[in-house]
Amino acid sequence: MKIRNVFFSLLIIGLSWSCSNDDEVIQEPMGDYENGILVSNEGPFSNGTGTVTFISEDLSVVNNEIYKMTNDEDLGNVVQSIGFTEDEAFIVANVSNKINVVNRYTFEKIASITEGLNNPRYFIEANGKGYVTNWGDTADETDDFVAIINLQSYTVEGTISVVLGPEAILANGNMVYVAHQGAWGQNNKVSVINTASNEVIKTLTVGDVPNSMQLDASGNLWVLASGKPAYTGDETAGVLSKINTGTNEVDSNIQFETTQHPGGLNLHGGDLYYKLGDKVYKQSLSATSLDLDVALEGVSFYTMVINNGRLYGTDAGDYASNGTLTVYDLNTKLAIEEITVGIIPGGIYFN
Amino acid sequence: MEKKQIFLFFIGLLAFAQVFGQSDGVIVLDEVVLSDAKLLHFSKGAKIRVVNDSIQQKSGSSLTDLLRYNSNIYFKENGYGMVSSASFRGTNAQQTAVVWNGININSQLTGQTDFNTLIPGNYGDVVVRSGGGSVQYGSGAVGGTVLLNDSFKFNEGWRNSLETSYGSFNTSKLAFNTSLGKEKTFFHIGINHIASDNDYKYLGTNRRNENGAYDQLNLNANVGFILSDQKVIKLYHNTFSGDRDFSGTLTAPADENYRDLNHRSLIELSSFNERKIARLKVGHLYERYRYFPNKQREEFSFGQANTVLANYDYKYQLNKITLNGIIDFSSIWAKGTSIENAQRNFVSGTFLFSHELSDKFNYGLNLRQEAVSDYQSPFLFSLSSSYKVTGNNTLSLNASKNYRVPTFNDLYWTGAAASGNLEVLPETSWQVELGQTIQVKNIALSLNAYSITTDNLIQWRPNTQGIWMAMNVQDVSQYGLELGFDWKWKWEDQELAWESEYAFTKSLDNATKNQLLYVPEHLLRSNVAYQFKKWVASYQFLYNGSVYTTTDNSDSLPSYTLGNLGLDYHLSDISKIKFILGMRVNNLYNKNYQNVAYRPMPNRNFQLQLITKF
Repeated sequence: MKIRNVFFSLLIIGLSWSCSNDDEVIQEPMGDYENGILVSNEGPFSNGTGTVTFISEDLSVVNNEIYKMTNDEDLGNVVQSIGFTEDEAFIVANVSNKINVVNRYTFEKIASITEGLNNPRYFIEANGKGYVTNWGDTADETDDFVAIINLQSYTVEGTISVVLGPEAILANGNMVYVAHQGAWGQNNKVSVINTASNEVIKTLTVGDVPNSMQLDASGNLWVLASGKPAYTGDETAGVLSKINTGTNEVDSNIQFETTQHPGGLNLHGGDLYYKLGDKVYKQSLSATSLDLDVALEGVSFYTMVINNGRLYGTDAGDYASNGTLTVYDLNTKLAIEEITVGIIPGGIYFN
Repeated sequence: MEKKQIFLFFIGLLAFAQVFGQSDGVIVLDEVVLSDAKLLHFSKGAKIRVVNDSIQQKSGSSLTDLLRYNSNIYFKENGYGMVSSASFRGTNAQQTAVVWNGININSQLTGQTDFNTLIPGNYGDVVVRSGGGSVQYGSGAVGGTVLLNDSFKFNEGWRNSLETSYGSFNTSKLAFNTSLGKEKTFFHIGINHIASDNDYKYLGTNRRNENGAYDQLNLNANVGFILSDQKVIKLYHNTFSGDRDFSGTLTAPADENYRDLNHRSLIELSSFNERKIARLKVGHLYERYRYFPNKQREEFSFGQANTVLANYDYKYQLNKITLNGIIDFSSIWAKGTSIENAQRNFVSGTFLFSHELSDKFNYGLNLRQEAVSDYQSPFLFSLSSSYKVTGNNTLSLNASKNYRVPTFNDLYWTGAAASGNLEVLPETSWQVELGQTIQVKNIALSLNAYSITTDNLIQWRPNTQGIWMAMNVQDVSQYGLELGFDWKWKWEDQELAWESEYAFTKSLDNATKNQLLYVPEHLLRSNVAYQFKKWVASYQFLYNGSVYTTTDNSDSLPSYTLGNLGLDYHLSDISKIKFILGMRVNNLYNKNYQNVAYRPMPNRNFQLQLITKF
């Protein structure tokens, strides 16, 4: 979510939603967080802190605010995402310009990265370094960058200048792919970064507002772009692009209707899944046009992730109260469990 | 004589409906001078409280500071001096109307008023009118109405006052007022300048409010001429210019800056005789903001609106019956970074009727209908009545239908992942209120109970594509109880005035039955002023109950108790110049509190003040 500009819009509009940090905690014995699901909750957008919820693999144990419980401090304002290395979790707080590094299984804090970030979005590890997309100053469309994190000292050791609005980031061997959603505006690029030289070796054009990426087993990178929304006065269709990571060329583009704005691309069992309107659709990797095969309907997810035959979708409700995570069985298309998490649950991860 | 003036300090503390409520003995000219006849004649069942000039000097500089301790309005302040919005009787920021000399001045862009951009010091009086008043005051008069009135004091000669003050956080204030009241002419200029680094400590941390500095300039200028025995012309003007850095929160630093500019001008021509008053008003309102997301850079976003209005008001007195008809025309243009040129025209007709059936019993009926270019406006009414059970015991009853119209942002906003919605309907609200006041010697008691229900609350939510849009999504209701107690006491060269109010407020989402955000269930405040010879001591007390910060009531801010202490010394006159030296301690108990989560308010702070009157 372009959370900060939305926040300001709403400030101007006159809403003030907010929250403090004493969420009702389901008291369970503090175990480790080794086997289960982590949900990052952005938290209220104008003020306050995001949180992380732990849910055990069998969905029976729910611990809210595990970072605060472990470290007795707040994560920061608008927890955008969590990125992982083998043992560590990098929790990105967008408005606070901060990444808290914790042990991903105990959640004990290791370090805070506060220097060298400006509107950080997503973290990925590649070739022994961390890479973090940053919008830079939102008033400047030319200062966007990817920060290079030294994983021993937990500092920003360099930056790679990129085009407007870097968002989702994905690693493939020594290559890093960055989708440029466009920060406050819209963009339609994917940057290819070679981590050996830390240079952008290619900038590819995809659909407008690329929001999510998946890498399939044959080395194809799938990029889903939502298209420009109607309010821009220049509405464009969503596009599913296939990029050959061998040649770094766009192989094919599959167009949606102009009013269709898909998001949340997932890969499961040789099929792509994405959300559009109130449905989740399934798309075969080999198809050359849209299958529009409905996998789930009557749902509206803030974010969704498919893992091991299950679909995990969040609902942010009215954005001013605790949201929920619902777990579906993709075979039966039925909800297995609904779990109350934190405010605006925006990320789902598996430990 | 001087003692009498000091005593004026206290009268405002004790003001209840009767301050304006007694129509007997008010001569027509007084009513013309007093610009708001709607309060005098057509608000009989409503709870009205006047906060007078001298208390304003005692209560700091902004309308937020004044009303926080002199009304039961809850203010959500994004850090001290930052954007401040009101919750009146459990309603939201757009459901309190602010009225300047009879004109509703809520922002056309946001529908609300930032109470830190109004400086009450120069106004003749500030009136808080609780409950619905949309027939009289238009959109947003749901929880209540705050009225700022300039006063025209003909025949009072030349008066000047100069107030300087300096205090903690490098806060300096300068206020100069000069007025000249002759038999047929009146002239007044008031200027205020307030500047502060506002870098107070965040108690319990080692940090300060680093980006909270503000600098504000306010000007009021008024001219009045009595043209003949039957004609008065008055010109009003107010300009406010504010420059604020916006404070961060406990979890995020800030580098933002925000600049406000407001101009308000009004010409009012009245002609009158014993039976009728006819008024023609022509006015212009201008509002503009500029928001700098990074104050080190030049880029900013802005919004502005121009309102041109004309209003004809004819009131006729027929023995015990008062009739009043009003026609309003307004044209509003707004534009900004996220609003392309948008325009709204409206015309409204209002009919007000009041009948003194006997010395004891009064009732009234008020009606209003509007025709607006860009939305359907509902028919509004109010019914009110007051009954004097005995000489000192009065019962009142009123019922009304009120509204809040969609703002320019609600309808026309585009961009930044948000979009206005032309389909949005006005919020409509129904309410009833019962009141009782009892006056026994120098004790006054008041009790008010009310119930409000509002449909089609306008809120911003993401649509299915994740774009935030204005929608009519919620129905809410409020009910509550307010208990007031005033006591004054005078003995030789001592005087004491004590005024207290307790408010119980329930404000519920009709679907979930949860208490709405940022509405304290309990609020208790109390002001005491004591004078002994030339010394005046005052104490302000506020207990603010816990408020919820999430709509599922899973999270809340704790309650807090605040105290402020003031001490004034009235020096002997030096060549007819009066000097008053004052000291004030705010947040006496050094309480760490927030009225918006993660936005701490100031620690204990001090202010020295010198008032010169000549």
